[in-house]
Amino acid sequence: MSAPDDRQAYDRGVSVFSPDGRLYQVEYAREAVRNGNAVVGVRGSDGVALVADSRGRSALLVDDSVQKLHDVDGHLGAATAGHVADGRRIVDFARQRAQSERLRYGQRVDVPALSTAIADHVQEATQAGGTRPFGAGLLVGGFDGSASTDVADGRGRPRLFEVDPSGAPSEWHATAIGGGAADARAELESGYDPGMRVDAAVELAVRALATTVEDDGLTTRDVDVAVLDAEGYGTFDDDDVATVLEDADVQRAS
Amino acid sequence: MVERTTFDVPIEADANDSDGPVLKTGTTTVAIAADDAVVLAADRRASLGGQFTANKRVQKVEAVHTTAALAMSGNVGAVQSFARTLDAEAELYAARRGEELSMDALATVAGNLVRGVPAQLLLGGVDATGAHVYELDAGGGVVDTDYGAAGSGMQVAYGVLEGRAEPIDDAENARELALDAVVAASERDGASGNGAHVATVTADGVDVESRSVADLAGDGAAATAGGASR
Repeated sequence: MSAPDDRQAYDRGVSVFSPDGRLYQVEYAREAVRNGNAVVGVRGSDGVALVADSRGRSALLVDDSVQKLHDVDGHLGAATAGHVADGRRIVDFARQRAQSERLRYGQRVDVPALSTAIADHVQEATQAGGTRPFGAGLLVGGFDGSASTDVADGRGRPRLFEVDPSGAPSEWHATAIGGGAADARAELESGYDPGMRVDAAVELAVRALATTVEDDGLTTRDVDVAVLDAEGYGTFDDDDVATVLEDADVQRAS
Repeated sequence: MVERTTFDVPIEADANDSDGPVLKTGTTTVAIAADDAVVLAADRRASLGGQFTANKRVQKVEAVHTTAALAMSGNVGAVQSFARTLDAEAELYAARRGEELSMDALATVAGNLVRGVPAQLLLGGVDATGAHVYELDAGGGVVDTDYGAAGSGMQVAYGVLEGRAEPIDDAENARELALDAVVAASERDGASGNGAHVATVTADGVDVESRSVADLAGDGAAATAGGASR
């Protein structure tokens, strides 16, 4: 029997292992993430930078009608890569979870707790019958205060997590997911400095994002930027993005 | 009709309408926040319709968190179940998150759980932000306070607490005052008595001591018997 036939026998149901212990549907879901445009996250000492590649859209498409960066609850943010629709569902789950934490404990959820909850939700889709894995990966960033204390007391710290389609959470100093992520991570590995401030983190993230693009640089319209610091979730406007592209020396004349 | 033990003030209509005996206890509970400790105390009597002492060594103060305890008055089955559930919530949070629930968060959880539970509860504990006391009621109300009393003996207990509880700084003074309040209520409230339990909550944990009537009549702080600690 040929290899493709073997594979067909084991990739019909998501909950069926192949004889060598692989879940093909989960691997295909990871492939779906790689087919999407890249998103990059970098943790600075005073905040987390999330940067998304928003190229490849028709000039007729209204700006910001398809979002890659998402405000989860005002202090946490998420960047999605892969299937946009699947990413939106995960983000909505994250938003509901963030609010239920407030109802249950009277406090906001922190990044590890939310990332773990998202990962549990994503993992369910790899084991339950009648469903398929999420075809989206997620970067979750935020600035955590300790439980019951305000971030303003200086005890808060920035955190960055990734959740992949298998439902595994992992914490990063800096990472990228989506198309060209390997190149972006190489750029992050050479440029990352644990002491860097969030503005430097944004610049590094944009430089890493530029490595995923075959064009000669990025335009303002190509890039979305969000920052999570003690003030919460904030996005860059076109002028801010233009400045960062210039500082990172990756701007392309549009 | 199912027999129920309560720490409630027996409501007359309730007592008369029942098909059989309803086991209830009147109760006096007290909670006082000191600088870096909380003291909670309760009497040890469970009574049948407020008429018959059904049990003389009931423990109505229980640890529900590494650094928090609950003083219970109300339907016995309901409040015991509530205390177990709250303790489980606190344990689960700590196991999942790698840190303890803060007192504000514990009080929020307790407020969500207490809705519909026929009880008047005092929750006290210590966290990084200091010592906290909360009053909980069956409507789900959670009220932050410095000191409080609950149960059928609460008026007498408050009479002892007023003017003396506000400036409390030291745990030993708080323990003495809490026991004074329970002793006074035990003298005048027919549904409270038979000694007391007193819990001292600090950052190091919860320590529950049992005091007999004889202990309380003598030097209240001296003797302990059969205390439970966590």
